[in-house]
Amino acid sequence: MNVKILDSWLREYLKTDAKPKEIAKDLSLTSVSIERTEKWNDDLLYDIEVTTNRPDLMSVVGLAREASAVLPQFGKKAMFAAPPIDVISNEVRNLQGISRRDAPRNDKVKLEIINNPELVNRVCAVVMEVTVKPSPQQIKDRLESSDIRSLNNLIDITNYVMRTIGHPAHVFDFDRLRTDKLIIRESKKGEEIETLDGKKHILQGGDIVADDGKGRIVDLMGIMGLENSVVTDQTKRILFFIDNNDPVKMRKTSISLGIRSEAAQLNEKGIDPELALDALSYGIHLYEKFADGKIISEIIDIYPKKPQPKIITVAEKTLEKVIGVHISEKKIVEILTALNLNPRVTLGRNEVSPKADEVTTPESEDPDKAQARMTKMIKCTVPTYRRDLTIPEDLIEEIARIYGYHNLPSVLPPLVSEEPLQVSHDPFFWETRLKHMLKYWGFTEVYTYSMVSEELLEGPLNEAVILKNPLDADHVYMRRTLVPSLLQVIHENKAYDIVNIFEIANVYEKNGEDLPKEHRILAGIVKRTNVSFYDVKGIVEQLGNDLGIMFSFKVAKESVGADVHIEKEKIGTIEELDDEIVDFELSFEKIAAHATLKKKFIPLAKYPPIVEDLTVEISEEISTGEIIEIIKKQSPLIRRVTLLDKYKNRRTFHIIYQSDEKSLTTEDIAEIRKKITASLQNPKRHS
Amino acid sequence: MEHELMNIKNNAVSLILDAKTIDELEEIRIQFLGRSGTLTQTMKEITRLPKQERPEIGKLANETKKIIEDALSQRIETLSQQKVSLRAKKLDVTEPGVRPPLGHLHLITQAIEEITTIFSNLGFTKVRYPEIEWDYYAFSAVNFPENHPARDDWETFFIRQEPHPKKGPVILTPHTTSGQVREMEKGILPIKMLNLSKCYRRQSDVSHTQMFHQFEGLVVGEGISITHLKGTLDYFVKSYFGPSRVSRIRPYHFQFTEPSFEVDVSCGVCNGTGTLKQVQGDKEVSVPCRLCKEGWLEMGGSGMVHPNVLKYGGIDPKKYTGFAFGWGVERVLMMKEGIEIDDLRLLYSNNLEFLEQF
Repeated sequence: MNVKILDSWLREYLKTDAKPKEIAKDLSLTSVSIERTEKWNDDLLYDIEVTTNRPDLMSVVGLAREASAVLPQFGKKAMFAAPPIDVISNEVRNLQGISRRDAPRNDKVKLEIINNPELVNRVCAVVMEVTVKPSPQQIKDRLESSDIRSLNNLIDITNYVMRTIGHPAHVFDFDRLRTDKLIIRESKKGEEIETLDGKKHILQGGDIVADDGKGRIVDLMGIMGLENSVVTDQTKRILFFIDNNDPVKMRKTSISLGIRSEAAQLNEKGIDPELALDALSYGIHLYEKFADGKIISEIIDIYPKKPQPKIITVAEKTLEKVIGVHISEKKIVEILTALNLNPRVTLGRNEVSPKADEVTTPESEDPDKAQARMTKMIKCTVPTYRRDLTIPEDLIEEIARIYGYHNLPSVLPPLVSEEPLQVSHDPFFWETRLKHMLKYWGFTEVYTYSMVSEELLEGPLNEAVILKNPLDADHVYMRRTLVPSLLQVIHENKAYDIVNIFEIANVYEKNGEDLPKEHRILAGIVKRTNVSFYDVKGIVEQLGNDLGIMFSFKVAKESVGADVHIEKEKIGTIEELDDEIVDFELSFEKIAAHATLKKKFIPLAKYPPIVEDLTVEISEEISTGEIIEIIKKQSPLIRRVTLLDKYKNRRTFHIIYQSDEKSLTTEDIAEIRKKITASLQNPKRHS
Repeated sequence: MEHELMNIKNNAVSLILDAKTIDELEEIRIQFLGRSGTLTQTMKEITRLPKQERPEIGKLANETKKIIEDALSQRIETLSQQKVSLRAKKLDVTEPGVRPPLGHLHLITQAIEEITTIFSNLGFTKVRYPEIEWDYYAFSAVNFPENHPARDDWETFFIRQEPHPKKGPVILTPHTTSGQVREMEKGILPIKMLNLSKCYRRQSDVSHTQMFHQFEGLVVGEGISITHLKGTLDYFVKSYFGPSRVSRIRPYHFQFTEPSFEVDVSCGVCNGTGTLKQVQGDKEVSVPCRLCKEGWLEMGGSGMVHPNVLKYGGIDPKKYTGFAFGWGVERVLMMKEGIEIDDLRLLYSNNLEFLEQF
């Protein structure tokens, strides 16, 4: 969440000799990130990114307080000039007395607020007579530079209070409320409201609203005021209202209605309720000053949930272990004091467990060692505005960041695994190798989405893994195959006549009540005119050759193509879609499981081979694989048989003959050739 | 007759392939194609065949003759070329070469490989955990409170499936942090893990895609401190972006770490100065760098592992400490000089014109 604040405004509460650039840099390194400083008329504007855990820094006062703790660490003078709110609060108390519902007073105006402590931690409110008019220029400038539109003094003051103190504030036209009564309750499903920006909303139920006692909703609390009670240029009397609400409810309402007002964004992060009376007091002060304000009711302060002060303790040794360097006690105390954490250092037992090799029994432990096990404990009391601090590690962070991360050395971590590295069992190794193989064979890798449209999902819908809350209709189902996504890539690149693409990614399979199974798949597509099944089969074969895997191929039953097997297991398919597109989809997991780095040496041949091309005439019914098997059987001297050419019923084979005992002669071959020819006259089919 | 012709062809071709000299080839030619050569003789016999067989066999004989002639001339060419190869040839070196095929790996893969190599060098072990994950590992076990906004169904994708009584709903993992407690559950210390995976979030704009990649480093052991995180980070930044780049950590807030840091890397375009020199007219002026904020680029989050996360992973936080970081692969890729892609969605558009650039 970003907030913009003028330098002059900050300096109202921060007395320092640091220059704006220095403030920006020093805070960025130790606290909030100040992304930019830009010129604003004669002033300078800070653009500050505040993390969600520090809503206390979403205000000028909070930032000034933080800066006053940080800047002295960089050798700059800095003092926090707290606003005189306590004085104002006390004046208000003395003037009016703090009254509760059970102590009614004789005021001009009566207002009854019935709170629900489950929903609202604190409500502070007052009714005032006012004059509506434009705000003074300084307030306008400060708000507008902070991205808040200036409207009139009545509304501007609520925003000005919020930005200064850090607690959202609201103002009603008291006369438009009509009933002198507010009941805080949860909305019912279906109730309708119109927010002050003129938009109508139907509530989902469970939103915190203020009801005028007659069922009419007059405020969507903590989020935005309503059209029916907002101040106008006719307003004479206001109800100035500070409500500290349940943060979870705040976020739910804000998100479900899409109202991301600044108040909503602050309230959902949890604002310190201790600030509520400060905000009320400061607002009263501003209405008196800029709106001729006069208090005409009791000061209401309903405070059912007052936070208890928290105490956190951290051992100095733990601190040192996590930060990695020794920081002196003096420095630690100085930092914690600057952050209002009220540190006390005592001697206590070290909470750090001894190392495994130093285990001693308490009886045998000598007093010196026991003494050495004692460590300094740092105990802090956390101010209510620092709700983010709860555990010892939070204190470590406070000390380390103010000390300065930039002051810590950089050291490489010492730990090295003793587990031996087994490269051939590492799927990542094979994945990289496969990808590179395909790249150097001319394939381009694509990354397509794991979620696909109904059209691209293969297999039955009711067994699919389905997103409950998809972002769009194209990404709804977790895919079960990769090829449809790849086909879409082909489709989207129509201008290309030749495409070779592949992807390695997971597919997802429903698995009862357990997590869906994820399988890693390698898939690819070859597109070009007259591409054949054999072009892609060759790729798969070569892939196997490189990884030491013997694939076998069986005729596919459901498509034109082949099922790819490793041993007896089917691990994928090759599919001829038409004479332009052939695809393959293989289990990467199975490939990686069978891939090997083992190599076997075969002694080199002593005698030269004889090579010949043999053409035979044989029925087209008999597969080349079968013929090769038959030829090989005819003699142990046949080393290799490959198909060279095929035309109708004639097939030409390239045959290599070789002997380990002698140089073969043409006569030796003639014999074998005869046998081959004879065996193919009447071939027996293999089953 | 057919078989005879085929035999002649097979014989002739294997002899031709074996021939070592042009003289040898001439002998082979005479042996088969000469006046009394085997093929010539066989062809003469065709006239004696029954009339209806003649055209078919005649055609085959001619084919055989042609194959032998082609084999002869090819072999002659091969042998004579061997002779002239040493002679000076006239080359037009401006003509294109004959190139072997070369495809392209996706930019994400290229980044992943580089990142993996860098961390392997530091002794990190690469792991992979489920993309479809229990809420437990993605949120509860890494210290997200029940009502944290990230658990809302407007930020995280949920799967249509009954929630597990203990592990909660099934989601698409929104970050690689889900791997932290899974890694700890292996029960082996020290941990030095690099988890690199697809992640999913409900967002899509110029700088976000519904599917993206993160890499998560996790180091847990005795005596691991912030200084080790800084060391690792510096090593990565200088290795991946170049030795002149520097890194820094700033306070930030994450649920799973305490303390938490945002990591910045000095800008490679303006050399960390935040300004660029530009010539306007005849003057040189300084303008703010477009890429970075005051000389720094945000890389991602990191921090010391929150004690609650260690506890969820069955590790004693009093004895062991650890650090973790989780950064976007797309993010670090975009931060490399020269890559500056203006719309991240282009990475997953699978436009070949784009993919073939890399």
